[in-house]
Amino acid sequence: MSVYKWLDERLDLDRLNKKFMRKAFPVHHSFFLGEIALFSFIVLVLTGIFLTLNFEPSTRMVKYEGQELPAAYVSVLYIDSLPFGKVIRSAHHWAAHIMVASVFLHLLRILISGAYKKPRELNWLLGLALLGLTVVVAFIGYSLPFDAFSVTATQIGYGIGKSIPYVGDWIAQVVFGGEYPTLKSIPRLYALHVLWLPLLLMALIGLHMLIMIKQKHTQPRYAEEVAPGKILGVPMMPMQISVMSILFLLYLGVLFVLAGAIIAHPIEVYGPPGTSTPALKPDWYFLWIYGILQIIPSSWQIPLPGGASITSEFIGGVLIPGILGLVALLLPFLDSRKTKMRYVELPSQHPMRTSVTVGLLFFFFVATFAGWKEEFGMTNAQLWAMLIFIPLAAWFTTYVLMRQIWGREG
Amino acid sequence: MYRNDTIGPFFALLFSVALYLATYLDGKHIAALHGGKPPHEALSEGQIGLVAFATLFLIYALIGFFSVWLEGVELRPGRHVPSPGAAVTLVAVLLAVVEAALGGFFVRLMIHHLTVEPVSAAAQGAVFGAMMLVGAVLLAIYKKYYLGDEVLVEEEHSEVPW
Repeated sequence: MSVYKWLDERLDLDRLNKKFMRKAFPVHHSFFLGEIALFSFIVLVLTGIFLTLNFEPSTRMVKYEGQELPAAYVSVLYIDSLPFGKVIRSAHHWAAHIMVASVFLHLLRILISGAYKKPRELNWLLGLALLGLTVVVAFIGYSLPFDAFSVTATQIGYGIGKSIPYVGDWIAQVVFGGEYPTLKSIPRLYALHVLWLPLLLMALIGLHMLIMIKQKHTQPRYAEEVAPGKILGVPMMPMQISVMSILFLLYLGVLFVLAGAIIAHPIEVYGPPGTSTPALKPDWYFLWIYGILQIIPSSWQIPLPGGASITSEFIGGVLIPGILGLVALLLPFLDSRKTKMRYVELPSQHPMRTSVTVGLLFFFFVATFAGWKEEFGMTNAQLWAMLIFIPLAAWFTTYVLMRQIWGREG
Repeated sequence: MYRNDTIGPFFALLFSVALYLATYLDGKHIAALHGGKPPHEALSEGQIGLVAFATLFLIYALIGFFSVWLEGVELRPGRHVPSPGAAVTLVAVLLAVVEAALGGFFVRLMIHHLTVEPVSAAAQGAVFGAMMLVGAVLLAIYKKYYLGDEVLVEEEHSEVPW
């Protein structure tokens, strides 16, 4: 206590406690989806520090057990040989997957509870930016071990980036250091992965949380009856902090058991990059884009002035995701309200919004399924029909069922 | 979303089990396509996605159940002072001993890996993960039976952060 008193006399900690640490946090488990994303980011930074100390971001050839192999690949083998090294690398990998999934589900929760409406439009936009950035950072991280898998998977992303008319070559230069894979590719991707993009992520997460604290959480509906017009919650210190610490430990426990049991990217299985390209697909969060690319004929080309053209890669990899992204960006301005939103809207009372969300999820499922077109021996026409009609059927069925069960819009 | 009940965590747990099961069946299907033996020992891209969501739902379910247990279904303003019994204290002491033992065992594993022979990643991850899970339960016991509860009602417009 004397240390606290000493610091309090100099820094006025009591005032800090009264002003900031007594902030009330509403309680609902679905609010923890954002925290799971935050926990993942913390784990990624901590495990990433260990990895940067041992990883060599270079494709120069080095001798390893009588073979000439890329230095990046060999340094990952070295990391795997260290005590706890393989588990830390695997935990880094799984935390990235869980972060992408949790940011997606967090946005989905915001969407179905209407929490993007006034005054939280800005935080919705920031959330979308965070989802996009998380996916990009995760994708770039995949390229770093420089094994046959990562080179092939990165080439798919490189092709999509390069397909953008007029600016594709510039993107390839900035992100990949030229035509992938060149000698400059790994150092460039490494700098983006460990420094510039994480700094941007940190800034956006900080801004996201600052706005959330200013605007306050939406609250569960029962709070309207207990303390109408006010914020009902537990104080940040010590209640919320203690619960968050418990949840962080739970997260770490599950993550590390998984990381040890299943190595997500065992590079020795695929081996160093060679002349033959293994039959691979991109990471799961790109599979829906990959699926759309599979069913767009490569003959779809629209010439543009200046020698550029809109290719099938651009349509499937940039245009369709871009349209979906634009709709998401405009959502809080299209589905708006004049009064301030304080309490979550129950999905059951908004059948149109909930059923459209279900339809969208089915779109992602079917598009992902299309990624296995060859394995299932399906034609483009069959998959196009599925991609259009299954989401529509899901939307319609959900809407009708919800109206039957819960009645009119709330 | 009306209150902090266990419906969401229960369905999250169901989804988690279903997705882990789907991952296992997908692996069996891939192996069957290759004459009973999978082409390699790594998970496929689809399986990684399934496991990522299965694990996220599992974490969410655990967090949800803990949240309901520790914070209740609905908040009511006021303070609640707990009164821990002897049994809770005994459990906490036993868990603290288990935690210390796991910590010691983890250090031994690392030394063994470095000086004698490699220890499997599964064992390393399981011991470290168990340490974290026991730590979570210990902290939860402290929160539930020693720290107590406090629920505030705050004005909507405050000076925080500006």
